[in-house]
Order: sequence, then structure tokens, then C-alpha cells
Amino acid sequence: MKLDAYWREAMSVLLANRARTILTALGLVIGVTAVIAIRVLGAGMSGAVGGLLGALSERSFFVVANVQQADFTRAALRLNDLQRLQAAVPNVVAVIPLGGARERAEYGHLTPRLAIGPEPDERYATSTPLRFGRKIDADDVVQARHVAVLSDAAASKLGITSDPTGTSLRVGEHRYLIVGVLGKSAQGIIPVNVDYQVAIPYTVYDREYVRGHAILAADVLVADVGQIAKTQGAVLDWLHTLKGSRVRYQTFDRQTFDKAIDGIFNVVTLVVAFIGAISLVVAGIGILNIMLVSVAERTREIGLRKAIGATRGQIMLQFFIEALALSMFGCLIGLVFGVAIGALVDDLAIVKLSGVVAPIPWLSSITIAVGFATIVTLAFGTYPAWRAANLDPIEALRYE
Amino acid sequence: MNDVQPVIAVRDVTKVYRLGTVDVPALRGVSFTIAPGEYVAIMGPSGSGKSTLMNLLGCLDRPTTGAYLLDGVDVSRLGDDELAHIRLRKLGFVFQGFNLLARTSALRNVALPLFYAGLGNRERSARAAAQLTAVGLADRMGHAPSELSGGQQQRVAIARALVNDPAVLLADEPTGNLDSQTSEEIMGLFEDLNRTGRTIIMVTHDEDVASHAKRIIRVRDGRIVGDEPTGQK
Repeated sequence: MKLDAYWREAMSVLLANRARTILTALGLVIGVTAVIAIRVLGAGMSGAVGGLLGALSERSFFVVANVQQADFTRAALRLNDLQRLQAAVPNVVAVIPLGGARERAEYGHLTPRLAIGPEPDERYATSTPLRFGRKIDADDVVQARHVAVLSDAAASKLGITSDPTGTSLRVGEHRYLIVGVLGKSAQGIIPVNVDYQVAIPYTVYDREYVRGHAILAADVLVADVGQIAKTQGAVLDWLHTLKGSRVRYQTFDRQTFDKAIDGIFNVVTLVVAFIGAISLVVAGIGILNIMLVSVAERTREIGLRKAIGATRGQIMLQFFIEALALSMFGCLIGLVFGVAIGALVDDLAIVKLSGVVAPIPWLSSITIAVGFATIVTLAFGTYPAWRAANLDPIEALRYE
Repeated sequence: MNDVQPVIAVRDVTKVYRLGTVDVPALRGVSFTIAPGEYVAIMGPSGSGKSTLMNLLGCLDRPTTGAYLLDGVDVSRLGDDELAHIRLRKLGFVFQGFNLLARTSALRNVALPLFYAGLGNRERSARAAAQLTAVGLADRMGHAPSELSGGQQQRVAIARALVNDPAVLLADEPTGNLDSQTSEEIMGLFEDLNRTGRTIIMVTHDEDVASHAKRIIRVRDGRIVGDEPTGQK
């Protein structure tokens, strides 16, 4: 038996009965479209939310005093504690107290209130791209220069439209030389801004704002990202030695956030894919239904085919291949629609809103949708094929 | 006559249908032989058992008792797939209602048995085209049944029945759906085929149609009540 001959025969039957073919394939088209589009959207969304943390450096982690402890104030650290921590724990490059202040700024005749905060040098700084000038460099940090990088929002509040580098502004009691202006920050679907409006070298911030104040959270910069988990443990150990084991701290790094977000989105994607799978099962039942109707409608034809010498196996194979061809036809169209809708929505909604281009698992999405559709078709195509094959030719020929 | 092996030999064939708990005998013991090249009409009123006989001769059904030798092979105890194989190789069917595939060209309709015989696409088309030409439809090969007259449709069906070069052509009321003039055309075609040596068995209840055959077997109440030549040459 030559399968390609059966394939051609099935195609000629399907082509000769276009209306029936298209209606049958419709369910599959919708199912496959839904599954692919949903998976692509899920991946895009997950990527966009992951990308929301993009501005957060991977080369640092937060250490925070645990708020659920008896004497929270005992956990407070001083600036020199951080300096000792930096010296004592290997792999730690710098420890920056988390915090910021709102101060009256003065630039030209404008005096808005801006959030000023500490920033490490460019290797560890925010990934937000620059619009003008440069970021804070290692020299600025070491020399504790009074320089500032403005955020996009700060620049607009200060009425800055052209390159302001070289000019200076006053924030609070000090004057800072503007060295750079950031562009729009990459935000996820949830707008979280990690950039200070006025970022100054953390060494300057330590001197002007932190000195003498209690520190409850800090950003720890590391030299080797691969050792970040080990360093977190070492920092906690060191703090326990300093404060006693009853005082508790915890650490968060980028990977921890990413993992949590990934976890949430994996569940969402799974649930949505399940809904897509249900639509494919419904499509399969549609195929079962229309193939059964087709068997009834074609009873005389099947009778004739048997009378002129088709065996049960040949009739079964023929109907089965027709179902398979239908499924492939439906899958192909569904694939085109699914990819088109997925790409369009990913581009229009997710990429435009979040500014994040997430990798889309096209291949696995298509494989899952088409694979599942094929299984459904084969499962539901078998029974009508079996029914057709077992018709009695005499009865079938007499059927009106 | 005995020196030629009969193409069909039916011996003491009975057929009983079970309807619920009641046995309904359709054939009560039928015997006859048909030699190669014969043209036989089977006649009888409805309920006589002629359709049952036709189904048995066509290997669409098996006798309850008795033997049926087709081309020297006892086919009365074969399984479904073996019977399908016999129908494919040895028999050609012509039906009252033509039974052509709708929306399918005459050429593809005629080629259908060759598909089940496992022939390649090109050879199927070539043989189907030759057979359509032989029945006078060379210019209608690409037409669907709905674009053909009743007579033309029956010619397509005849071409389909002959495309496998069967030992016997079985026709079940082949003119039942045709007007008298077209019926004459089809009968003429049958005579031409028989003249070239084709064995033809035709079931009909129409005396005029039956008179074209060379021999008439009359069936009534499941028995043969007459078997004589018509005098046709």
C-alpha cells in the first residue's frame, strides 16, 4: 500500500468537498491559533516583567534588617559598619546604604523638589541608557566628587532640553556638576523606577546624608557574580558576628526576584495553555462529529468503494488519512494565525509598553500546538474511520 | 460445453436471512453454470430472490449452504478481505443508480478500482482514459457526473466496471434510471462488449431489456423456474 497514493486520494476528496473541509478544519484553526498565541503572550509577558528588573544590577544584592524581630532597632547599622563589612568579606566591592532624600533643587530660575540618592560607578550602576554625558565613574566615587547624573524625569522638571553637562545645580546645601542625563528607563508592565532623580556618588552621599544615621538596608556590590550566593551567606555571617545571632538580616538578589517572577508566570502560562488545550479537545470533538456525519453522508460512496474491491483496511486507512490531512490543513492555517496574532500583540502591547524584547519560544509553542492537535485528530478520527470500514457494502449501497 | 471450464458454477446454494427470531429463506437451493463469453439475464419479480442471487454472485455476501465457484475458485467460504480481493480482480459492477463519486471527474471515477489495486497514478490515468475512450467518452474525461447525461454517467460506470479487466461484468438493473432510447444505447454497448468475449450477467425485471441477453434465468420464490436461450446471436 502506497501512503502517498492515499494522501493524494484524500487531498482530492477534501478538495472536491471544499465547504465541508473548511468547516471541519475551523475548530482546529481556532484551537491551534489560541494555543500558539497564548503561549507567545505568556512568554512575552513573563519576559517583560522579568525585564522590568533590568535596570536593577545583577552585580549586587540587598541586605535588609528583618522587620519581624523583637528589637528591630538593634539591627540598625552605622556607616562605619558598612565600611568594615566591605573590608572584611571577600568579593564585596562596596556597600551602599539604601535611601534617599527629597531636597529643594535650584537650576536657573526653577526650584523643584527632587529625590537625591547614592549611585555606584558605572560598572554597577543602573542599565538605563544615557541621553547626555556620562555616568558616575570610579574616580568620582573614589575622589567623592560633587557630580550628579539626572534622571529623565528630573531633567524635564528642571526644564533641560539640550545637553546640560558642564553646568551645575544646587541640591539642598551643596552644588553638583551635572555630568550626565539618563534617557527613559526600561519599565515593565508595572511601572517601577529604580533610578534616583539626582544620582550622586555614594561616597558623597555617605558623607553628606548618611553620616550618623541608622542604616537598615544596603546594596552590596560584588566583584564576581558567580560567587554572589556564597557572598550573601558570608555577609549574613559577618553581621551575626557583629550584632549577635539573635539579630536577623535577610538578603535579596536579582536572581531571587527573577525566580519568584518566573514562578508566577510559569503558573499563569500553564493555566492559560490548559485552556488552549481544552479548546483543542473541543476542536477534536468537532472533527469527530463532522467525520461521523461525513461517514453517514458518504455511506453509498463507502458501499461503492467496498463493492469495487476496497478492503476494510483500505477504507479505514483512507478515512484516517483524510482526518490527518484535515488536521494538517487546520494546523497550518492555525499556525499562521497564531504566529501572526502572537507576534502582533507581543509587538504592539508588550514590547511597546515595557520596552523589553523577550525571547519568544516559537518552536516549542508550534510543536506543542501542532503535536496536540494531531494527537486529538488521530484520537477522534479513528472511530469514524472504523465505522466507515465496517459498513456492510450491500446495506451501504442501498442507503438513501 | 463440458470441455470449457465454467466461469461461474453455483451448486445447491441457499441463503437464509435471520430477521429477529424468524428465518427467512431467500434462496432455496439454486444450481447453474455460466460459461465464459455468455450474456445472461436473471429475471424475477421483486422478492423472488434475484437480488440475493446477484449479491452472492457479486461476492458481496456468502451463501448459507452450497458452493459457488468463480473462475474455478470456491469463494463461498472466503473472509471479507479475500472477497474484497475477488471483487477487485474478477468482478465489475454496474448499478441502477450509477454510484459515481460526485464532484469527481469521469477519469478519476473510472480509475478508482485501480487505486485499490495499488497502481501508480500515471498508469491509473492511462488505463482509465483508454477505457473511457472504449465506451465513447473520450471527450468527457474531465467532466464531473453532474455535467453528464444519465446515459453518459452509466457509460462512465461501465468503464469503471471494466477497467480491471474482470472475468464477469455484473449489472443490476443497468437501465432502471434511463429512458428507453438511452436504454437501447446501453444495451447496444453491452452487446458490443459481449461480442468481444466479455461475460455479462444482468439482473432485470424488464422483458425488453432481458431479451437482449442470450440466455434468461428466471427466479421465483428462491428457486430457478426457467433457464433457456433467447435466440439472440
